Amino acid sequence: MFAHNNSEIDYFRMAYVNTKLIKEHLGVPVCLVTDAHSLEYGESSISVTDIENTFDKIIVKDKDVEFKHRNSKIYRDTIHKQKSLSFYNLNRADAYEISPYDETILLDADYLILSDSLNQCWQSKNPLMMNYHWQDINFNRKFELDRLSSASIAQYWATVVYFKKCDYAEHFFTMCKHVRANYSYYKNLYKWAGSIMRNDFVFSIAGHILSGLRDRAIDQLPFTLYKSFDFDDIDSVLGKNSVRMLLEKHDCHGEYLLAEWRDLDLHIMNKWALNRVSNDMLEFL
Amino acid sequence: MSEKLSKAMEFANYRSTLNNQRAILKARVESLLSYSIAGGTFTIDPGLISFVKTLSDSGLETTVLLDIYKNPIQVDVSEFLDEILSRYTEATNDYYAEYSKLSAARSVQKLLDIDDV
Repeated sequence: MFAHNNSEIDYFRMAYVNTKLIKEHLGVPVCLVTDAHSLEYGESSISVTDIENTFDKIIVKDKDVEFKHRNSKIYRDTIHKQKSLSFYNLNRADAYEISPYDETILLDADYLILSDSLNQCWQSKNPLMMNYHWQDINFNRKFELDRLSSASIAQYWATVVYFKKCDYAEHFFTMCKHVRANYSYYKNLYKWAGSIMRNDFVFSIAGHILSGLRDRAIDQLPFTLYKSFDFDDIDSVLGKNSVRMLLEKHDCHGEYLLAEWRDLDLHIMNKWALNRVSNDMLEFL
Repeated sequence: MSEKLSKAMEFANYRSTLNNQRAILKARVESLLSYSIAGGTFTIDPGLISFVKTLSDSGLETTVLLDIYKNPIQVDVSEFLDEILSRYTEATNDYYAEYSKLSAARSVQKLLDIDDV
């Protein structure tokens, strides 16, 4: 898992809570990749002992300061708040070299592990798996997020990626690093708008090239990627495997549908909401 | 807003919540019907169960099945059949119980087990 804080979002705390969930539901070791400032803040806001007892390994990497200032995105906390903040995601493509494990599941810190589904990946015959299929947990809503842009290739989600140490995965991450280093070129070639560096796009292009320019040729994970969005909110934590969500209605901004989500992992895009409920979640762990 | 319209709006909200909870429940059941063994992943359904039962009845001890990725996976027929049958029964029974509970709930509060409203 990677966690690099910005001035408002405590990714380190998110990773800490999620690691507790991983220990509970998956029972596997967790390696965190972070930076000195995020670790220092974590040590002051959580505690050195709790951190040491939770993560199996912490790898501290220097931040590329120029990239940090350049790469910013709009973070939303429902329709009521939005802010442009630094989004540090540069080193995800280095996961192959960084991972100390023979088999790795690369996770976003905000992908809450509420089940043991990910344990289905271990010993897979497939060298690398990631999803292009996804599902909004407000089943009434429909968003066009299946391609990098309407004229481009299918989008894979770098939210959860399984890989094992092998030639195929090594080539994939080498390709990711190449795309990352030539991001502007590939942005023009694959035709999408916006300047923010997105690992979803980097991984999608690497997957496309490595598959001989075939769309959707990389095997998907053996489960659906469920997502809530940054205009949704977390109402409450109901247990170590369940949350009650406030999902914005498809036809009315600022109005919400309540939903109880249980026993399935969930990508939560509203980072403020995750930070708000982190203490409640820790009470169950 | 008239009382009648207010009730209709409340009912619309209830129906939306009910439909979404049903979809979430279905997703959970689908997850329970995914079974991984020996590096392969299978979706448990009546077709798979019947096929493996046929293999079992024909006296095969081990066989090779194609998983959801079309990878060939070698399994012990008897153990595999027991496992998928047990998982299918458990998942569908849970589905039935939860589905019935949702169908019986006549308000958003009851759908979501909210006591303190």
